[in-house]
Amino acid sequence: MLNSRVTTSLLQHPTSAAIRRAFISSSSSPSSSFLSSPLVRSGPLRFPTPTATTPSLLRHCSSDSHSSSSSSNPKSKLPNANPSSDKSTWRAMAEKDISRYLRQTHDRVFEHNRAWAAEKKKADPDFFANLSAGQTPEYLWIGCSDSRIPAEQITGLEPGDAFVHRNIANLVCNTDLNVMAVINYAVRHLKVKHIVVCGHYGCGGVKAAMSAKDLGILNPWLRNIRDVYRLHEKELDAIANEEERYNRLVELNVIEQCKNVVKTAGVQQSYAENSFPIVHGWVFGFNDGLLRDLQIDFEGMLKDIQKIYNLTES
Amino acid sequence: MEDDHFLYALSSNNAWAGYKSHQNPHFFPKLADGQTPQILWLGCSDSRCPETTILGLQPGDVFVHRNIANIIAPTDINTSAVIEYAVAHLKVKHVVLCGHTSCGGAAAALSDSRVGGVLDTWLAPLRAVRYANKEVLDAMKDERARGTKIAELNVEAGVNVLMANVTVREAIEERGLQVHGCLFEIGCGRIRDLGLGTKGRGGMGLDGQEDVVRGRHAQIVFRGGRGEMSVK
Repeated sequence: MLNSRVTTSLLQHPTSAAIRRAFISSSSSPSSSFLSSPLVRSGPLRFPTPTATTPSLLRHCSSDSHSSSSSSNPKSKLPNANPSSDKSTWRAMAEKDISRYLRQTHDRVFEHNRAWAAEKKKADPDFFANLSAGQTPEYLWIGCSDSRIPAEQITGLEPGDAFVHRNIANLVCNTDLNVMAVINYAVRHLKVKHIVVCGHYGCGGVKAAMSAKDLGILNPWLRNIRDVYRLHEKELDAIANEEERYNRLVELNVIEQCKNVVKTAGVQQSYAENSFPIVHGWVFGFNDGLLRDLQIDFEGMLKDIQKIYNLTES
Repeated sequence: MEDDHFLYALSSNNAWAGYKSHQNPHFFPKLADGQTPQILWLGCSDSRCPETTILGLQPGDVFVHRNIANIIAPTDINTSAVIEYAVAHLKVKHVVLCGHTSCGGAAAALSDSRVGGVLDTWLAPLRAVRYANKEVLDAMKDERARGTKIAELNVEAGVNVLMANVTVREAIEERGLQVHGCLFEIGCGRIRDLGLGTKGRGGMGLDGQEDVVRGRHAQIVFRGGRGEMSVK
């Protein structure tokens, strides 16, 4: 974050495809050249510079009021690289000590904040003005509410890159005006290029949905997952291992929700007119932190769906 | 063109995962064990408000629901399911409803023209807020200030809905769940506590008390009408 965003205009304008292409092809080894990418708030163009600030800087990168690090030099590494030690340290501190510590760190917060704001401004005098001027995200992210999957952090997308909706078990239901309004706005008004439905293995919502329990107000919501199971009953029943079966259900749920996205008028009409958005199905794994692309054949899916759900008025 | 952005996010994730596990080999295995977030964040889908990033927190810290204009409608099944799961099952300690300045939804609600599709229906509660506060809003000449005002009023209305939610009420009484209403100022990156919810309007921080929301690796302190982030 302290290495500033290169082009604030990235927030306002979709990044040029040519630049991204050049960038991607120039980085022969993604794992090293992208090292700093999700961890700093620089634009994608900046990513090949792994000199980088430390990942821990990420957590307060986007908000100056939050930019407190325990180091007085904003460019130096933060000591709390290990989250577990961090946690235990806090636990060990008495409440009184914590509030005293907080008062002490209070000034430092503002010190860092000033440094950060100054640096941002130096790199781009219009940074804050631009940020409040508007958004032109490339992505609509439909993900699970689960606390372990902050969309921006796991993808390295910048503030301004992804319009985000998150609900229990990343469901896209026809009659849910909440998600329908999100898709409508993202497609018709923000003109996003990609819609990602992202599920995750070990989803509590999916597990809860398949348990023989009355969960009150959660019932009508989670019922949709049971419907996914019913649609793929044969395949799922054939999987003996329970965990594997759940994981497959998670994947199938993502695919079904992708279909539900494709069924909307906004997506169908926009695609007919502009050849976007493209719908993708991804699954996040906690074990390795990696996103898995389910390789959905979007055009095939669209064609298939339009046999019955065609809303393009053509 | 499409593939470039697509490839970008996936490669970026690959790098992030590699870095995280290099930094702490237990990070992902620990995440896989389960989640115990202390905060339920109800915010706007707006791409400029990435909650975990602006709170300075980490994966596992914040349970999240984001919709258009952070509207909390009592009968919306989507939001209701999120609240139920987070409050009754995960037992979060704080519910933070956070609006933001320069909100497209707020602007739409302030205009008289139809937005189209399902959006007008979704924005109905926000329009109701507008009509209920017509005098205050009409008196404001600056468009930006009016947008900020309706965003604040929207948070207030949402907090009222939360406070009337039966699951939330029970959790407040039984285990001291706290409900907060905030506004994220995009123009400067700060979160402003609106002093709503369990502590009541203006009550937060006035008596010099701090309210500490502890994440796994950082914490937010609500004090003096403002939320401050602190990383150890």
